[in-house]
Amino acid sequence: MKARNLNILLIEDDAIEVMKMQRVLSGIEQDHTIIEANNGEDALSILKKKDRLPDLILLDLNMPKINGIEFLSILKKDERLKFIPTVILTTSNNQRDLLACYYIGIAGYVLKPLKYEDYVEKITRLMSYWSMNELFIA
Amino acid sequence: MSSSEIDILKRALAREKAARKQAEKILEQKSAELYSLTQELQSSNLKLETLIDEKTSELNGVFENIVDAYVVTDLLGNVLKMNDSAIDVLEADLKEEPINLMEIAHPDEYKKIIEKFKELIQNGAVTDLHIKIVTKSNTIKLTHINCSIIYDAAGNPKAAQGIVRDITESKKDQEKLIESENRLSTLILNLENAVLLEDEQRKIVLTNNRFCDFFEIPLSPEQMIGFDCSDAANNAKHLFTAPVAFITRVDEILDKKEMVVGDELLMVNGKILERDFIPIIENGIYQGHLWSYKDVTLNRSYRKSLESQKQKYSSIIANMNLGLVEVDHEDRILMVNNSFCKMSGYEEETLIGNKAANVFLVDENSKVFKTENNNRLKGQSSSYEIEVYNKNKEKRHWLISGAPNYDLKGNLIGSIGIHLDITGLKNLELQKELLLSQLERSNDELHEYAHIVSHDLKSPLRSIYALVNWIKEDNLDKYDAASLKNMSLIEETLEKMEQLIGDVLDYSSLNSTHKDYRRINCDELVKDLIKIIYVPEHISIDVKETLPKINGDSTKINQLFQNLLSNAIKFIDKEKGLIEVSYEDLDTHYLFKIKDNGMGIAPGFHDKIFKIFHALNKNKDSTGIGLSIVKKIVDLHDGKIWLESEVDQGTTFFFTIKK
Repeated sequence: MKARNLNILLIEDDAIEVMKMQRVLSGIEQDHTIIEANNGEDALSILKKKDRLPDLILLDLNMPKINGIEFLSILKKDERLKFIPTVILTTSNNQRDLLACYYIGIAGYVLKPLKYEDYVEKITRLMSYWSMNELFIA
Repeated sequence: MSSSEIDILKRALAREKAARKQAEKILEQKSAELYSLTQELQSSNLKLETLIDEKTSELNGVFENIVDAYVVTDLLGNVLKMNDSAIDVLEADLKEEPINLMEIAHPDEYKKIIEKFKELIQNGAVTDLHIKIVTKSNTIKLTHINCSIIYDAAGNPKAAQGIVRDITESKKDQEKLIESENRLSTLILNLENAVLLEDEQRKIVLTNNRFCDFFEIPLSPEQMIGFDCSDAANNAKHLFTAPVAFITRVDEILDKKEMVVGDELLMVNGKILERDFIPIIENGIYQGHLWSYKDVTLNRSYRKSLESQKQKYSSIIANMNLGLVEVDHEDRILMVNNSFCKMSGYEEETLIGNKAANVFLVDENSKVFKTENNNRLKGQSSSYEIEVYNKNKEKRHWLISGAPNYDLKGNLIGSIGIHLDITGLKNLELQKELLLSQLERSNDELHEYAHIVSHDLKSPLRSIYALVNWIKEDNLDKYDAASLKNMSLIEETLEKMEQLIGDVLDYSSLNSTHKDYRRINCDELVKDLIKIIYVPEHISIDVKETLPKINGDSTKINQLFQNLLSNAIKFIDKEKGLIEVSYEDLDTHYLFKIKDNGMGIAPGFHDKIFKIFHALNKNKDSTGIGLSIVKKIVDLHDGKIWLESEVDQGTTFFFTIKK
């Protein structure tokens, strides 16, 4: 099976985190596309257009306004959007958050490591996994 | 013959003629008289005969209709005649068969009968003869017989006649009467009460043992009969504590001759007697009187102690701090004590007769109250809390302990409740609950807050790390070795910072919730742990025995062992490191020991070491929080932690965990 190029929605309010993600993705073989959203509201308005839905959503939990878990709930209540695999990307190892996310429904939970090398490693693996996966095309 | 003779003859003839005529005339007269006499005789004879006839039939009627059995027999006892009653009594009928009295008589009586028969023939009559007979129905009857001999004209005995009465029943009644009389007299003789019956002359008719006892009379009751009692009171007065009053009272009673009941007499010997006087009046005439004395000493002393008990309890009830209420079946208040009045704010008069529920109850509680009242009707007691309004319409909490109330016969007549105002306590309890929930909420908030803070602190670390990394990567060829070394130092510092934040978060997340407690197999836990943590080659960990199972939060217990083992590993400075894990079974706790042969800890730091941020060796791996976490976990499991250590020799950590 050939690895696909993914259309990724990255919901992250920290500019440097966005830069990190872009730097990692630019270093790997596939040509994944990143759509940036600084917060939940932005992400929802992007998703509402529905002209081209992302293949994967990467979601930071700690955000101003609508936080990650609230956003996730809204997403999973939508008949179409709920099928987009959503992976949590966070520094929080709060067990309650983890349980809440699994309860609502997530495709993965990635703890951001401190060391940048570890981060590159983790994101690379994540991308290769999802680009190989036969995704539901929403 | 001479004329004279003739004349004489003639005259004699004439005289003769006249005499004859006279005689004839007398004869005629006499025969007429005789005739009338005969006539009279005849008529009177006739009258007599009728009279006899009348009498005979009269007698026959009497015999036949006589109520008692009448029997006529010949001199051998063969029955010649009998009436209907006799048929009933003897259960034999002459019309059906010949009867001989000897055949009916009870065999025991033969001798007596023969004797009496002789007596009968000799004397002509026997009376009051008691004979047992056996009838055809095989019943034994006792008969009473009066009999006599019938003589012929010549005066010879011809037959015997007798009147027979069945006295079986009356005999029995008589026996019963005698028996009951005996019983009565025995009863009186041995009666608990002293009895003295005097006639109108004040002579003793009857008395009993008790009386002799009470009045110290050295005679038997029988010997007392007939005694004159006129001076008795005077003789007995010395037995009583108030002799003069005793005599006055007796005189007064005898004077009035009216019934007196329950006079109390104190005796010198300490006895208390109760005296009754009953005059006996028959047809309005005074016949005598009955004195009766009862020893009530025990009763009185019971009553006295009862009264003192009652006094005691009444004063307890009145003065106790608990409110006491007695209600009837309809929940109407019958009695309240002072404390209850104070508690409720109502006056006693206002409460009595009212329904307790109407006065005090808050509507929503009436159901509880109803159930409780029903329990009471079933005879169950129980305690319950209830909200009520006092007189000022303030809500109060009362603890009520209710019990069914019975009368002397054991009938349920209502209930008694003891009331304690627990409003203060209840408020404290509510306050405590409020505080607890607040505490829980703020704990929760703190937990969330710690996570947010740690996230907010950790995120910049990641950014700095990435930026440093990029600068390093982008300038690898431009930077000298010193700058690259400094870059590495920045990274190390960031790692330490990360560790610190993580530890602070862990420490603040250790909340005491027993809900996560379950059975933990420490043996498995420690062995798994040894596989996971990094143990350098030169260090060996020896679990000396199978560790026990405990109750606890497995994550925390895991962290506890991990921190202690890591700590031991970290500070081993010997070529061959040895860590030993063992335990002891104490009564309520398990004592665990983790012993190392590391560098040891100086005595001055043994306590400090468990305080947060008190790392003894500020190195890369140590934040000084690890042992604080250990202490907190042990505290959470109701244990204690301490250590023994010698510098350069090693350290042993001891901790207990509640079983």
